[in-house]
Amino acid sequence: MTSLKLVEGFMPMQMLFELALCVALFALTSHLLGKGGKAMPRFWQGILFWTFIVLYLKYRVYPPIPFSVRAMYGTVSLIAVFMWVSSNEEDWKKFKQPIMNVLDANTGFHKALRTMFLIALPIILWGFSYNSFLPNLDEPVELRTVHPAPPASTKVHGKTFVLQTSQNPYRVNPEGKYDQEYTNARIVEQSMGRLMKPDANPWDEKAEGYLKYVREGGEIFYQNCHFCHGDNLNGRGLHAFAFNPIPANFTDPGTIAQLQETFIFWRVSKGGIGLPNEGFPWASVMPPWEQHLTTDEIWKVVLFEYWHTGYYPRTWD
Amino acid sequence: MRDLRSKSRWFAVLIALAAIVMVSGSAIVWTSAEAQEGGGVPEGFKKEELPALPSAEMIEAGKRVYFTKCVWCHGVDGAGDGPAADRLWPRPRNFNQGTFKIRRTASGELPLFDAKKPIPGQNDLFETVTHGLPGSAMPSWEGILSEEQRLQVLSFVTTQLVKDRKFDDKATETLTVLQLDSIKPVPSSPESIKKGAELVVDKKCIECHGVEGRGDGNAFNLKDDWGFPIQPADWHKCWNFRGSRQDPYNVKNIFRTFSTGVSGTPMPSFADNTTVEERWHIANFVNSLCERDANGEPLPIDPLTDKPKINFVIRSGPTEGDISDDPGSEMWQKRERRIVLFGGQITHKPRNFVNRIDDVWVKSIYNDKDIVFLFQWDDRSKSVATEKLPFGPNQVNLEQYVKEQAPKTGEPDSIAAQQSKYTVYNDAFAFQFPVKWQELPAPIKPRYLWGDQKYPVDIVKWDASGAVKAFAGTGWDQDFEDRDDFTEKLKVLKQEWKDGRWTLMVSRPLKGDYDEDTKFEMGKYIPTVFFAWDGHNGDAGRKMAVSAFYYTVLEPPIPKETYIYPTLIAFGVVILEGWVLTRRANKKKGKAL
Repeated sequence: MTSLKLVEGFMPMQMLFELALCVALFALTSHLLGKGGKAMPRFWQGILFWTFIVLYLKYRVYPPIPFSVRAMYGTVSLIAVFMWVSSNEEDWKKFKQPIMNVLDANTGFHKALRTMFLIALPIILWGFSYNSFLPNLDEPVELRTVHPAPPASTKVHGKTFVLQTSQNPYRVNPEGKYDQEYTNARIVEQSMGRLMKPDANPWDEKAEGYLKYVREGGEIFYQNCHFCHGDNLNGRGLHAFAFNPIPANFTDPGTIAQLQETFIFWRVSKGGIGLPNEGFPWASVMPPWEQHLTTDEIWKVVLFEYWHTGYYPRTWD
Repeated sequence: MRDLRSKSRWFAVLIALAAIVMVSGSAIVWTSAEAQEGGGVPEGFKKEELPALPSAEMIEAGKRVYFTKCVWCHGVDGAGDGPAADRLWPRPRNFNQGTFKIRRTASGELPLFDAKKPIPGQNDLFETVTHGLPGSAMPSWEGILSEEQRLQVLSFVTTQLVKDRKFDDKATETLTVLQLDSIKPVPSSPESIKKGAELVVDKKCIECHGVEGRGDGNAFNLKDDWGFPIQPADWHKCWNFRGSRQDPYNVKNIFRTFSTGVSGTPMPSFADNTTVEERWHIANFVNSLCERDANGEPLPIDPLTDKPKINFVIRSGPTEGDISDDPGSEMWQKRERRIVLFGGQITHKPRNFVNRIDDVWVKSIYNDKDIVFLFQWDDRSKSVATEKLPFGPNQVNLEQYVKEQAPKTGEPDSIAAQQSKYTVYNDAFAFQFPVKWQELPAPIKPRYLWGDQKYPVDIVKWDASGAVKAFAGTGWDQDFEDRDDFTEKLKVLKQEWKDGRWTLMVSRPLKGDYDEDTKFEMGKYIPTVFFAWDGHNGDAGRKMAVSAFYYTVLEPPIPKETYIYPTLIAFGVVILEGWVLTRRANKKKGKAL
């Protein structure tokens, strides 16, 4: 099963690529078969193609696509298949032919097939509708806003931070000035593995300023945050499996890469309990970190998270 | 879930076929010439050459990987003393001595590592980095680091951070490799499992792993090579086996661990005093103990977490008349069980970084008056405080008694070193529902950690002293308030700790005082949170294990419509069929004419 796992983060591209490849292969095979004089009937081509798409969506993609979405894709591809088989009168006739054969039942085989269908159809439909009438006790679906609107300002350890104007005091250049360009040049490389730049090692004994703060932030992260957010900041920590919602994956381009540093500062300081209702504060186990860390420590952790994922914090302009 | 079950059924068929081929094809027992050759080589092993050391470029490149990803736990010098180490149990590996747990090499030897061979089955360390060590903080690095990067970092670790041994030193090192891929397994069968069950007694496995294999034998006296407390594996949770290689129900992994032992731990290699056949029997037996579903199939494992998949709905089944207090009775045996996973309470002080209870199995039955819950969870020790506790079961602000592990303490005071030193409190279990959930404006729920002022919760808490009490929770930092009237109506139908497992059965009325006690209604989703305290982990107050939100649902009896409408539909289909056939026949006739 593990060998079938899709590579995280490249999933949509991989999926589209694979599907395109399969369609090409499919077209090629039927073309070759046709050339060899053993053309597959339109009817079976259509059914095979549609079944393939449905099975692909169901088994190849992880985490699984919900049934409602799969049903939608299934319908769309069914319509596509119908459009394809009915593109001209002749094709449509060819497509219908097997069905008509069974209906007319001119041969013994078709007769047996027709009898089987006549008996099986009502039984199968009875089964399906019985299942759908059973009381449904599936997991309820609850939609939570992942990035709720932040407040204008937040008060942490007695000090008020205005989210629009506050800056991370540790995002500095050697002169001690706030400097995004300088720090962005020293984050990990945005490629497989997300490794640090060879000349920007926070563990270098001579590391000063920004890189030293990154190391200190990392130390705090690995003493406090990795239990949920994971060793690779991908939301798969030691305790993560037990919780719902699962911890945020910072390596996903949809989380911290989309947000301002001050937003993260607010979320970290106030934690799950500080969320507005649309963020489901009752279900989040995210600690209000002001109960555990100083303001400086929180800023350093935020600094580290951007360094380790290789993302730039978003700016207001 | 249904999909996976049908999938695994296919696997079962394949495995059965493979087994038949094997049994009929040749003798089961492995007796090739290799077994007899070379003095001192245990059965099933073979001498191999030491691989060449990795290139200088690989080592240099690996340093960069190490200082981005690994240093945080394993430390600058690889001594397992990175910033994270003091709050982790098990502690991160100290590489310096060259002691590695999961190997195919004989006891005492270095693991297989060849920077040029990222081949499963020929590269122990590469597989460890690829699949991680479940049950510890070591994650799977597959999909995060490329194959090349994993080989690079291992090149750095094995040459620069392993300091006491050299991977290519022919004078001191040998490689005697378990031929796992060529040894024919003894397929699992009732006979093989029975032999295995006798062998684990014979070979004294149960002295540490416990009579039922729940890791409860001698659990508090074992130490690893560095003097830290270590606990024997619980055979019922194969997904937590360090060497499970993200394939927990694969018996080969157990065979390997049993053959080569786990370096640095009290788990020895049994290669010298068991035959290959005996080892397969034991592996089959141990594998058979791992939790399975009602059909005996492996539990579906979530590939994102390497734990059993969760269904967040706990279904309570209807019955008429009395509810049995015997979990072995037919009534309970037939009930579907659901797994609830626990994490440590890591939101408020004192945070619980190491939760020793990580899951509980839940079943539930209700009748017209009561609802009964059956909880079963593995706990290596029965913990009952020997003296009167200085706090009540309702108190939550216990920072005087329960301390949070400091972030940086050094090894002697680290959380790993504390593990057998805690003051023993009572084991305890609790579950909470919202009060007046009928009036909650969707999607609001009372907070998972004991509600809040505005939305209080109904908590039922049991502890190992035998007491069960009803409380009201009004916030994470508020002591529980007694609900004495409701406490009188609670009943503990069964509480028993046996061979490393608690069984607890608690009955509560379906309704009580509407304003204080949760009222159950059929078919409604009632948010539920579970809590577990392990007395030997020093758990009390807020130091405990906690679940996510689950839902308790009382299954309604099947209504009559469920039978009537499908029958009508089927009847309609028959008529439709008749109509289509007649039409077609008429049309044809028309054409023929």
